[in-house]
Amino acid sequence: MKKINKIKFGFPWEYLREGAIELFKKAGYEVDVDEHSYRIEIDDPEIECVTSKVEELAPLVEKGVIDVGITEKVFVLDNKAKVIELVNLEYGYKTWKRSKIVLAVPENSRIKSVRDLNGKRIVTWVPRIAKDYFKKHGVNTEVEFTNLPAEPKCPSLCDAIIEFVNTGASLRKFHLKILDILLETSPWLIANENSLKDKWKRKKIEDLAILLKGARLAQEYAGLILHASNEMMEEVLKVLPALKKPTVTPLRGENWFDVLTVANKKEIRKIIPRLKKIGCTDIVEFPLNKVVI
Amino acid sequence: MAENKLKLGIPKGSLQEYTLKIFKSAGFDINVPERGYFLTIDDPEIECFLLRPQEIPRYIEKGKLDLGISGDDWILESKAKVIEVCDLKYAKQEIKKVKWVLAVPKDSKIKSVKDLKGKTISTELVNTVKDYLRKNQVKARVEFSWGASEVKPPLFADAIIDNTETGVSLKAHNLKILDTILESSTKLITNKSAWQDKWKREKIKDLALLLQGAVKGEEVVNLMMHIPGEKLNRILKVLPKLKSPTIKKLAGENWYDVEISCKEKDTRELIPKLKRMGAQGIVEWPLIKLVP
Repeated sequence: MKKINKIKFGFPWEYLREGAIELFKKAGYEVDVDEHSYRIEIDDPEIECVTSKVEELAPLVEKGVIDVGITEKVFVLDNKAKVIELVNLEYGYKTWKRSKIVLAVPENSRIKSVRDLNGKRIVTWVPRIAKDYFKKHGVNTEVEFTNLPAEPKCPSLCDAIIEFVNTGASLRKFHLKILDILLETSPWLIANENSLKDKWKRKKIEDLAILLKGARLAQEYAGLILHASNEMMEEVLKVLPALKKPTVTPLRGENWFDVLTVANKKEIRKIIPRLKKIGCTDIVEFPLNKVVI
Repeated sequence: MAENKLKLGIPKGSLQEYTLKIFKSAGFDINVPERGYFLTIDDPEIECFLLRPQEIPRYIEKGKLDLGISGDDWILESKAKVIEVCDLKYAKQEIKKVKWVLAVPKDSKIKSVKDLKGKTISTELVNTVKDYLRKNQVKARVEFSWGASEVKPPLFADAIIDNTETGVSLKAHNLKILDTILESSTKLITNKSAWQDKWKREKIKDLALLLQGAVKGEEVVNLMMHIPGEKLNRILKVLPKLKSPTIKKLAGENWYDVEISCKEKDTRELIPKLKRMGAQGIVEWPLIKLVP
């Protein structure tokens, strides 16, 4: 019987799911999600998708149950999982940002620093990181695990929390303030060490990494087309970013050129008005699927 | 003053989202109210109606509609005399292909279509199934099902002929597939009288061109990359031949700028390969329409 080579891909369920699906679609895959049976299928017979809770994925990759997957960096650290970190995908829940893991206490709390936490109760989603953190500071605390947001539990059930912060809105809502930032975290593509030693799997995983990274980068960039005259060109080329060399094509029978380039969307906000001032015309911006530098 | 207007049927249900999407890419905005079926479209020459795809072929045959979108399954089942203007098969339907299959309980003694003799089959496609049985020279009882056919065997029917996309629901009901009787694609259909009316025919042909362009555009992307001069020939050989590449030499450098079109699905293999071969700054962008 012919054996089909396959990799098992760990899809994060919960809050990292939608972002991961978006990246796969832009990478060129068709993705089918079955909410009720926790099943994700993609149109590549060489990739078998397995869904998992975000925080449970790193140990599964370490054991080799899953070859490659997407999880939050902090859960790799909290599980002390020995995995290979391939690509920082750096997307977050809704806001596409990295998040921070912080120590927070009620706004009116007497606790002013880590040292004041001796003998106190802390609730967190990342207990091992929390314990290491307190040990480092020589503080004795009672660390309790929760797999629900910790904010509502403070101060009624604990004195402080160690939680994810993205925009800070949730902390403000529960009248909590940040005392310390433990680390920054974002979603990473991680792989099993032995899977990368297998020649076929390694290529498959590396190809997937190129595509997902390209899809992620394309979310930050856009294409730009404009018309500029010969006299404007020098100034235009100075304004355009250097990620990709602009493609310049002369327009038929005129002293004008068609310029095509790629730029960061946030830069484009500044570039377009400047190009307009230089005298460029017909400026068109268009979305991208993948950017592979 | 006689106003030229085309009456268009948009399918409600599983084809709806896709239909609205390709119309949008074709350049038409169709507004679907939260409740109710009175659609509006930003073309004064078209009047839209949201109808079940089962009924659209019949209304087209009768001339109540000039044009509509429906599946092969319902066109066949209605036995309506309609004209197929074009296929609008959705490229990204690898996982969710609409298939009509013959399914029986896993432990059933029915092993093939021949064993259906004298049995009861429940289906939404009564006419199509009768034709299928006749073709296989099997006499069986065909019962119309209003839907949810999976629950019927073995108590209410011996077998079903039902549509499936992924087969998950069949598996969940302990059914196994014995045969595929039909694979259904999406079609743009009209009737003879509209097709003979000069104005309507032109309008339909223009619309078909745009819709097909939108379907194709969904499938194809553009790629642009920089390639060093010494690697150009080797890389050009691996590029897909969908359209000849546009090659430009970068001023004052031994680098080339190459632009191609390719199927989106092919980029999964092509892009990592190009990167390995030395192409740089590979940028891919989607197309809205592609009219060959």
